[in-house]
Amino acid sequence: MGRITGAFLLAVSFLLPLVACSPSTPTAATGDAPRRELILAVGGEPEAGFDPIAGWGRYGSPLFQSTLLKRDNQLQLVRDLAEDYDVSEDGRTWTVALRRDARFSDGRPLTAEDVRFTFETAASNATVLDLTNVARVEAVDDDTVRITLHRPQSTFVNVLATLGIVPKHAYGPDYAERPIGSGPYRLVQWDKGQQMIVEANPYYYGPKPYFERLTFLFLGEDAAFAAAKAGKVDVAYIPAALAGQSVPGMRLVALKTVDNRGIVFPFRPSGGRTAEGFPVGNDVTADPAIRRAVNVAVDRRLLVEGVLNGYGRPAYSAVDDLPWWNEETVIADGDVGGARQMLQAAGWRDDDGDGVLEKGALKAEFTLLYPAGDSTRQALALAVADQLKPVGIRVRVEGKSWDDIRRLMHANAVLLGFGSHDATELYHLHSSKFQGVDFFNPGYYANPAVDAWLEKAMAARTEEEALEYWKRAQWDGRTGLSALGDAPWAWLVNIDHLYLVRDGLDIGRPAIQPHGHGWPITDNIDEWRWRHDGNGGSR
Amino acid sequence: MKRHWLVLLGWKLLRLTSLLAAVCFLTFWLVHLSPVDPVQAYIGAEMMLVGPEQRQQIEAYWGLDRPPLERFARWFNALLHGDLGTSMIYRQPVLDIIAARFWSSFLLLAAAWVLSGIIGFAAGIVAAMQRDRWPDRIISWYCYTLAATPAYWIGLVLLLVFSVRLGWFPVGLGAPAGVPAEQVTWWDKLHHMVLPALTLSITGIAPIALHTRQKLLDVLASDFVLFAKARGLQGWKLLRRHGLRNIALPAVSLQFASFSELFGGTVLVEQVFSYPGLGQALVEAGVRGDVPLLLGLVLFSTLFVYVGNGLADGLYRWIDPRMRKGSAV
Repeated sequence: MGRITGAFLLAVSFLLPLVACSPSTPTAATGDAPRRELILAVGGEPEAGFDPIAGWGRYGSPLFQSTLLKRDNQLQLVRDLAEDYDVSEDGRTWTVALRRDARFSDGRPLTAEDVRFTFETAASNATVLDLTNVARVEAVDDDTVRITLHRPQSTFVNVLATLGIVPKHAYGPDYAERPIGSGPYRLVQWDKGQQMIVEANPYYYGPKPYFERLTFLFLGEDAAFAAAKAGKVDVAYIPAALAGQSVPGMRLVALKTVDNRGIVFPFRPSGGRTAEGFPVGNDVTADPAIRRAVNVAVDRRLLVEGVLNGYGRPAYSAVDDLPWWNEETVIADGDVGGARQMLQAAGWRDDDGDGVLEKGALKAEFTLLYPAGDSTRQALALAVADQLKPVGIRVRVEGKSWDDIRRLMHANAVLLGFGSHDATELYHLHSSKFQGVDFFNPGYYANPAVDAWLEKAMAARTEEEALEYWKRAQWDGRTGLSALGDAPWAWLVNIDHLYLVRDGLDIGRPAIQPHGHGWPITDNIDEWRWRHDGNGGSR
Repeated sequence: MKRHWLVLLGWKLLRLTSLLAAVCFLTFWLVHLSPVDPVQAYIGAEMMLVGPEQRQQIEAYWGLDRPPLERFARWFNALLHGDLGTSMIYRQPVLDIIAARFWSSFLLLAAAWVLSGIIGFAAGIVAAMQRDRWPDRIISWYCYTLAATPAYWIGLVLLLVFSVRLGWFPVGLGAPAGVPAEQVTWWDKLHHMVLPALTLSITGIAPIALHTRQKLLDVLASDFVLFAKARGLQGWKLLRRHGLRNIALPAVSLQFASFSELFGGTVLVEQVFSYPGLGQALVEAGVRGDVPLLLGLVLFSTLFVYVGNGLADGLYRWIDPRMRKGSAV
């Protein structure tokens, strides 16, 4: 066998150089001058491209484009492209004055015509944006845009804060692959499914970002973690399961979010059907005492500790800590005795001694569905079922696909998650107009008093004026959509978003993050810097 | 002789077209039956933010509101004109996507195929010639263990050991991070291909080695080998004169059969290493209900595997002259 062995050794010796020669890759080590480049693995590749009209940039900074307004890290609205804006008395006309020094990455100036073009194209295209309320957009002159709505809408300001402006002269079918915008960065190269390289936009009107070049790697969560461990990335998003692992040279950052998880209950008694024939209603959860009892009995702090390993905080509404949150909605929970009393007062008794309450012929049991494959929601559902046992409520936990959930969610409790910087979400979740529409209000919740407050909030002139109405809709002293009132939901937790960040990298103070791990952290990426850099100023 | 090959080719083409048509229809029907809602999958995370009018608009835009038979007819018609359609997820022509990813996958597949073929064949021969002695034991043990191990797991182990621990190879992707395309060299691309190719090869070795070993054992137990041994032939000479020719046919079958297995394996391996290839695109298309892309990829992979098997068929006839005359072996 001498010859064969010889041939084998020869083959192996061909492979050795491949191992030995490691081609130059930009390593993540710092030299004498602080590195002005970053490599991030925060997932979330927008397969459809970087076209704001197709929905790009709604989570986190649109990077390549700029928006008329934006939210600072306290979620207050500040001006970006807009120098000033004004809402008419009847709330239907929005007039925006643009700044004059905004230019696109190809040098051409940004004018009102580009803004008009963006809004009109977005309103007429079939994508994820909803601009059906826009009646007319006019470019009054080079620097002023007037938008007329069909109805006043206080939440329209969110469109101004998230719709990136595209250039009319450079918008075509391949814009999504080759975006040109007035944002802090411009796209240099995009390898689909792999990585994206961006560079600072030389024509950007704002302060020049510290990092001149960013590389985004589109890796899954496990691959991102492996890359972080190998020292190849500076920022990596990681799942909660890997939070306990330490990586030398990197620190764990847990960002507060409004990315919530909660249980939505069918509000109506059973017997109804949707247009497609799916069952509507559940006799057990239709009893407000049951819903309130669940809210009171669940120990949210325990859920955060046990299921999220401490990386989260209790949730009492869909909008905790946002400007439109009513702080009164925080209730005392973890109270099994109080829950039992509530149920007893409502006529639930355990006559047959099997540990499950009854009211007449009805047993206090229902099914709780969660999207199979999501381990956090599964853990939450099981934990909640456990916590409700001593109260006398039996919960059957089942994992289902999203398509099955769509069929079953009107007649069973479901563990869903939301969390947006747009207050319209409160409206979508609780208005009777959205009963049974998509995943909005699957429980068919309806309360005329709450509806009235929600309509007032939507029809208010500005976001500030709407705040009071949003809060009253949650609890106005007598009724509301929170656990104090009708309790159509039992909100459980707000999860933290976990990232591994290189030591010495200052990522500023990110705002409360919305639903969706990954991109939102880049919202303030133009403010990031190395901590101990004399030139950039240390903090 | 020439006529024989032409007739063979003709039959193959006919079978190919009917196979492709059947596969298309079946795939389309399966996707239609599956609970995946393409509109839902298209919208993705935005699911909670899109109203019903938007949904209808999206459906109409992609032609999803038509009955399935009509959609299939339109797609098939377009296909006959050479248009594979536009992918819903990537918003690009399907042909472009396949072309862009084809080479990476092909190189990976080819490398793994050659490596696993050569090493598997060699290992099988060694094991059979050294039957029941320690080389055989080691190889058999190794192969049985590997045959039971999923490719995915091996990929992860290699990733952990060689990329994370030792840092010899990159963590994934097809090209180095942060390097513009013009500066990426062939060496870089090869460097990124090593681990995925290694993963696929490792899992591909086992069945080939074991089967080759068995076939060679059968050959070594035959009469003419007994006769050769009686004349004093042994070792390498025996193998070369009598063994190799006789296991050539089974080896070819095995090698080309592993083609389709490897193709399936690339899907998993590309996921582990985030390697940009057809496998990744296939997974995305399937999970998100992107019918044009899925059908295009299925067609393509059917074609690929069919051509591979066709080549095997042709090779048989070339290796063994008896098969050319049409008589059974």
